[in-house]
Amino acid sequence: MLKKIKSFEALQDIARQVAQDHQKYRLRLMVCGSNDCHLTGSNEIIDEFQKQIQQRNLEDQVQVVATGCIGSCSMGPVMTVWPEDIFYMKLQPADVGEVMDSHVEGGHPVERLMYHDPNTGQAIAHSADIPFFARQHAIVLGNKGLIDPESLRDYIWQNGYQALHKCLTALSPEEIIAEVKAAGLRGRGGGGFPSGLKWEFCANTKGDVKYVLCNADEGDPGAFMDRRIMEDDPHAILEGMVIGAKAINASQGYIYCRAEYPLALERLYAALDQARSMGLLGKNIMGTGFDFDIEIYKGAGAFVCGEETALMTSIEGKRGTPRPRPPFPAISGLWGKPSILNNVETWATVPRILFDGGDAYAKIGTESSKGTKVFAVTGNINNIGLVEVPMGTSIGEIIFDIGGGVSGGKQFKAAQLGGPSGGCVPAAYLNLPTDYEAIVKAGAIMGSGGLIVMDEDTCMVDMARYFMDFCQDESCGKCTPCRVGTKRMLQIVENICKGEGRPEDLDLLESLSHTINDASLCGLGQTAPNPVLSTLKYFMDEYRAHIEDKKCPAGVCADLFTSPCQNACPVEMDIPAYIALVRAGRLADAYKVLKRTNPFPGVCGRVCGHPCQSKCRRSQLDEALAIKNLKRFITDYVPPLRPEPIPVVHPEKIAVIGAGPAGMTAALEMKKRGYAVTVYEALFEAGGMLRWGIPEYRLPREILARELQEILDTGVVLKTNVKIGEDISFDDLKSDHDAVYIGIGAQKSSPLGLSNESAAGVIGAVEFLRDYTMGKDVWVGKRVAVVGGGNSAIDAARTALRLGAESVTILYRRERKDMPALEAEVKAAKEEGAVIDFLVAPLEILVSDGSIKGLKLQRMRLGDFDSSGRRRPRAIEGQIVRMEIDMLIPAIGQQAELDFLSPATQIDDNTKDTVAIDAGGNTILVNKDYSTDHAGVWAGGDIVTGPAMVIDAIAAGQKAAVSMDRALREAKGEQPWKETEDKIEIPVEVDEEVETLLQIRIRELSTAERSRNFSEVELGYDEDMALREARRCIRCDVKTEA
Amino acid sequence: MVALTIDNLAVEVPEGTTILEAAGSAGIHIPTLCALPEIHHNPGACRVCMVEVDRARTLVAACVYPVANGMKVKTNSRRVREARQGVMEFLLSDHPQDCNICQKHGNCELQQVAEQIGTRDITVPRTDFTVHDIDDRSEALVRDGSKCINCLRCVTVCDQIQAVNLLTPEGRGFDSRIVPAMGHSLADSACTFCGQCAVVCPTGAIVEKDHTNLVWAALEDPSKHVVVQEAPAIRAQLGEAFGMPPGTLVTGQMITALRRLGFDRVFDTNFTADLTIIEEGHELLERVKTGGALPMITSCSPGWIKFIEHFYPELIPNLSTCKSPQQMFGALAKTYYAEKEGIDPADMVVVSIMPCTAKKYEAARPEMNDSGFRDVDVVLTTRELGRMLRQTGIDLKNLPEGDYDPPMGEYSGAGTIFGATGGVMEAALRTVYAVVTGKNLPDLNIEAVRGLDGIKQAGIVIGDLGEVRAVVAHGLGNARTIMDQVASGQADYQFVEIMACPGGCVGGGGQPLPATNEKRRLRAGALYRDDGEVQRLRQSHENPSIKAIYDDFLKAPLGEKSHHLLHTHYTAREV
Repeated sequence: MLKKIKSFEALQDIARQVAQDHQKYRLRLMVCGSNDCHLTGSNEIIDEFQKQIQQRNLEDQVQVVATGCIGSCSMGPVMTVWPEDIFYMKLQPADVGEVMDSHVEGGHPVERLMYHDPNTGQAIAHSADIPFFARQHAIVLGNKGLIDPESLRDYIWQNGYQALHKCLTALSPEEIIAEVKAAGLRGRGGGGFPSGLKWEFCANTKGDVKYVLCNADEGDPGAFMDRRIMEDDPHAILEGMVIGAKAINASQGYIYCRAEYPLALERLYAALDQARSMGLLGKNIMGTGFDFDIEIYKGAGAFVCGEETALMTSIEGKRGTPRPRPPFPAISGLWGKPSILNNVETWATVPRILFDGGDAYAKIGTESSKGTKVFAVTGNINNIGLVEVPMGTSIGEIIFDIGGGVSGGKQFKAAQLGGPSGGCVPAAYLNLPTDYEAIVKAGAIMGSGGLIVMDEDTCMVDMARYFMDFCQDESCGKCTPCRVGTKRMLQIVENICKGEGRPEDLDLLESLSHTINDASLCGLGQTAPNPVLSTLKYFMDEYRAHIEDKKCPAGVCADLFTSPCQNACPVEMDIPAYIALVRAGRLADAYKVLKRTNPFPGVCGRVCGHPCQSKCRRSQLDEALAIKNLKRFITDYVPPLRPEPIPVVHPEKIAVIGAGPAGMTAALEMKKRGYAVTVYEALFEAGGMLRWGIPEYRLPREILARELQEILDTGVVLKTNVKIGEDISFDDLKSDHDAVYIGIGAQKSSPLGLSNESAAGVIGAVEFLRDYTMGKDVWVGKRVAVVGGGNSAIDAARTALRLGAESVTILYRRERKDMPALEAEVKAAKEEGAVIDFLVAPLEILVSDGSIKGLKLQRMRLGDFDSSGRRRPRAIEGQIVRMEIDMLIPAIGQQAELDFLSPATQIDDNTKDTVAIDAGGNTILVNKDYSTDHAGVWAGGDIVTGPAMVIDAIAAGQKAAVSMDRALREAKGEQPWKETEDKIEIPVEVDEEVETLLQIRIRELSTAERSRNFSEVELGYDEDMALREARRCIRCDVKTEA
Repeated sequence: MVALTIDNLAVEVPEGTTILEAAGSAGIHIPTLCALPEIHHNPGACRVCMVEVDRARTLVAACVYPVANGMKVKTNSRRVREARQGVMEFLLSDHPQDCNICQKHGNCELQQVAEQIGTRDITVPRTDFTVHDIDDRSEALVRDGSKCINCLRCVTVCDQIQAVNLLTPEGRGFDSRIVPAMGHSLADSACTFCGQCAVVCPTGAIVEKDHTNLVWAALEDPSKHVVVQEAPAIRAQLGEAFGMPPGTLVTGQMITALRRLGFDRVFDTNFTADLTIIEEGHELLERVKTGGALPMITSCSPGWIKFIEHFYPELIPNLSTCKSPQQMFGALAKTYYAEKEGIDPADMVVVSIMPCTAKKYEAARPEMNDSGFRDVDVVLTTRELGRMLRQTGIDLKNLPEGDYDPPMGEYSGAGTIFGATGGVMEAALRTVYAVVTGKNLPDLNIEAVRGLDGIKQAGIVIGDLGEVRAVVAHGLGNARTIMDQVASGQADYQFVEIMACPGGCVGGGGQPLPATNEKRRLRAGALYRDDGEVQRLRQSHENPSIKAIYDDFLKAPLGEKSHHLLHTHYTAREV
């Protein structure tokens, strides 16, 4: 027979006993016993520890406890060893022996099983030092990992029910409400209504019967904080509810919990029994004469029953549909009686507030949003789990510091806040504080704290479709806007995803959103359009791409492409086709397929950024297909084509300025269409950046020469050593030709903006590389510093090393993960001896006798987030270091040379017939079809986009050619050109079973073989390797009829 | 009182008034499709009545939002108009657009509200409809879910007013539909066919089953002798179908119209109403004398009969065994009248004009063929008759008054008042009093059983019988209250009158739309006028044609022929 608790001393006695019980053990192994850790095997681990403890006769010294969730769900199964606070993750039963031997018996914690810092690779032993835990502030989750969730005694040990005792014996209802008001507690279920105010309304409503209700109907996709609180700390909820009951003088409470939460229900039922048997619930609570009991109502899991009036209707035994407010529940709620409803997290917070006092709680958080908030962080993030942070913590901190950043090395795209009723915010909002009002202002809501992280592979239109589908599915159907409106919005979004969207759909979606928001009966309908509204606000370009270009940039909307790799390619190379042809051994056909869309396959097989590979479906299984290597393989094994000259059938003459990839592609495409094309190149050879900017060890000259020749063979005329603006004026060129394409690239390195940049020994990366490749006598220092983190910086560093530099240091102001350079290039540079110094920026160039002698460097730290989603480097005051160098290569960007455009051409003289240039003077502004506002002038490539990938320049050349041809033909009333191509049959050979198999690695020169020469580093595949790699393609382009 | 402004007009209304009502009192008509003024079911479902209230974050539904002091309401802002048009587009996007061939064409609230709102376009996709089967398996009602706009009026009426609780929302979101429980056909359900759902339905989603073609066919068949009977209530509301004010008595014009339609004989159900009083009065007396099941409950309302068969089968013995006047008429037309005129009943078609959809069901009950044939062949509602007359171009208003054909056309005022709640009770008490005491009631008007109170009681001392305690209920929800009392033994009534529809037959499910209590009152008033002012005779037993039928054919009340032709039995049914 349990003795009922009737005094504060009785609570303290239990707490003391529990503490003594714990102290009996030398070590306490706290294994997370939550559902997620269960799924990954925590039960087996607990059993194994218990077995081994028994075998080793350590039962008196070591205790194993299954605790509630500690939140680090993707690290599970996890264990914390108390009192040392040693944290282990991803434990397997096989690890138990080692932990027992080395740690429990040997006193040496097992480093292998600890958390490792992703940046430094260092093991972190104590959970208190792991950013995931260290940056949290646990109040409502304060008992996590400490108590056995099934033990009321453990709860009391952690000061449980002391707040209730205070409320029942020392505080009046008014005083309780005053504390809650002082705490600034706002409803954690989503609305954020001040809880104390709600209680006060209800307390002031006349009525003999009042109800205290707990909303445990958590239904947002991805949200599980309430379930965890019920499972892990059920007494906190009960204690909160009894306190609420005392405040409004209620004698009956209900917990409305969905039946899909069996463990939560089990623990709640158990907690109710325990609390009743100890006199903490029921009649005469703690001997104070106060009566209050709680009943659990199991809901069937309708999302709308999270809406308070629908929840009450459901408890009343009716179909769970919302009813109009007013009257508000505090006046007329359950069965028409005054009621207060709060969600689980809110109730579980109440005892903490009453224990510490409202003022103490109000010190945490922001002005309008006090205290802490629990977030369920899910999606494309490394540390999936539950986190509790002070309100006001930025979502960037939650995602990157606590959450460990985006998983799989992908780019952050958006965070979805507040579930289906919430909205998506883009990278530019990573500094957004988690504050009710701030989040609403950004177009989302705090909601119950769901935070879904989305990476670059997320299609925001598809995401909006998903949430719209959810809402229309979960609409109760009672009111028209929600019942029909959400369906109609869904249809429109679905149409857009299918490529059937119309431009007017965007305005229509917005106006429907406003109608549904303004006219729906309850919160579900009122907020249902939010995901569409917020994505329209921040990701309009994605909607436009779906509607205008029939393209899903993220490669999600399957109706809009055949394969994600082809979809990701700017020129939509038919990758599955040429890979199938490699597999079939038909390399000549494969080469033809390559050439259809890309005149530079050999170049791209070496230096393309291959966005195709990052979207490869195979990567979901093991590793992406090595598309780049296979492309190169085809060009390596197929002899050059000898195209016949293409006859000129049009009278119009085309001029192309710049023989880089954009210009040469445009020239070829216009040639194909039957025009006379002349390319004007300022230097003595064609190739542009491919020729002058990319070192030979990455792109051998003959590869480029071959592909340029294949273009010239068609009859494109190349005039080298002709600089427009010097040798021929732009206006003359313009008047001699019917259409001009400017593809001159960005030819100058951007300066660092420091004084002394003109000192000897300072040379921009582009100039340095070009001088060398042009055969100029290039001076290279002994100690070289390269500033920047892109491919040019790496190219410059590796070239400097090859030309004899003793040391090359790359200075980068951010962290490794922020470097835009290709991963493989960075790795190769390091292998070759380059050193990368992160979080540093040049502050001053030190000069002696007109030559550079060194650098003053400012040490940086990462601050808030910029619009790209990366943290802004901020100077660390006082941390300035000197570096001795004799050569400095700035590689922080490139600039254009646009002087050849005469001022009259550049400046708007009210004719509007100008080539417009952006404010920085670095890029030409073009229309969507690459035409400029100067009639007859088109532009593309780096001169339009700034430095980008080769494949982007090729795409720009192609698209401009389509538009030029169309414009010329339309002027003559002709139909646009249609390509006639040889039919190449593509084999469909699909393996029935796909086995895990990593990429076939490409052959490379060893570091020693390549260190001081310009031989090509990568050696490509042989036939056998290529065949094996080609077989890895899972042919996701093949659609079978369902 | 609460003072507020609506569209800058100062308005003062009692506390608890909704914005919709307050606006109405200021002469501003806010459109709605789900609100029902006399029922206050407050679903706030259709969202057509959205208005702007200062300080409210979203628009609010005027039909449910209570007024408050100092509130500023805008009912005609751009925001309001756009929201209403948006909502209407949503409704119409999931609604058939073939209005021209809909039974409710021209009498459809959805059309009217769309017109008021000014909808001219549907910009949202209309490619996806909720697909529904049309349920036309019952004799009485046709339900076409595709026309349903989920306003919940029928659900409320079926549950709160009629206490049948058959119609219910099912499914979620766009797929949610209003269906009979478990998705059954009305024909297989506990539906009483009272048709109150059809009365409140703002669209054509629930309508009476149209039988006018059967009548046209009979009238056009020269081999058929087609007779027609009209329920007591028809004469007080057929005029409404021709734009006449509610409560206009059009008895004579109606007779002329029916004759012009081509009926061979125009008789009157009032005649058998009088007959019912004779039979039922004697049945009551017999039960009192012989210790039969009491209280005795009237049986003229077929919706009520079906209700008790489903929900109170244990009280079936309390039901009077008398057929309803409609069925007595049919049985006698094909026997008494056929014999008298020498017509082969096989060639006779009996048509009745009823205020009631359940009468269609009643006529089709398998036991209703005591004449050897189906006693009543076709039942038309008032609305259907109105449509037939409009098809012919007959303008009721300007017709000369006609007179009934003998031998089944003559009636007393007691027969007429059958059409109003309490009328059967009043008529019966008049005759029972006379039979027992040999004298007329001192005051033939029994005011206690008149009017629209849901439950009305009266106690009348009738000679040796002492005080006869009577209770009258209309609307099945009120009937349920009485039945619960009877079933639990708390009731000490001898005689109970139940009418399924609110107001009795004047509020029947087949009457001109829309129905309001004010209309029910006016219609009943016309019937009492017919009883008190128009008819020469006011008691059933005084009707010479009734005397004649007993003398010539039936011989005596509760006699063998009566038993065979005028009385029936009931069937316990499951819910």
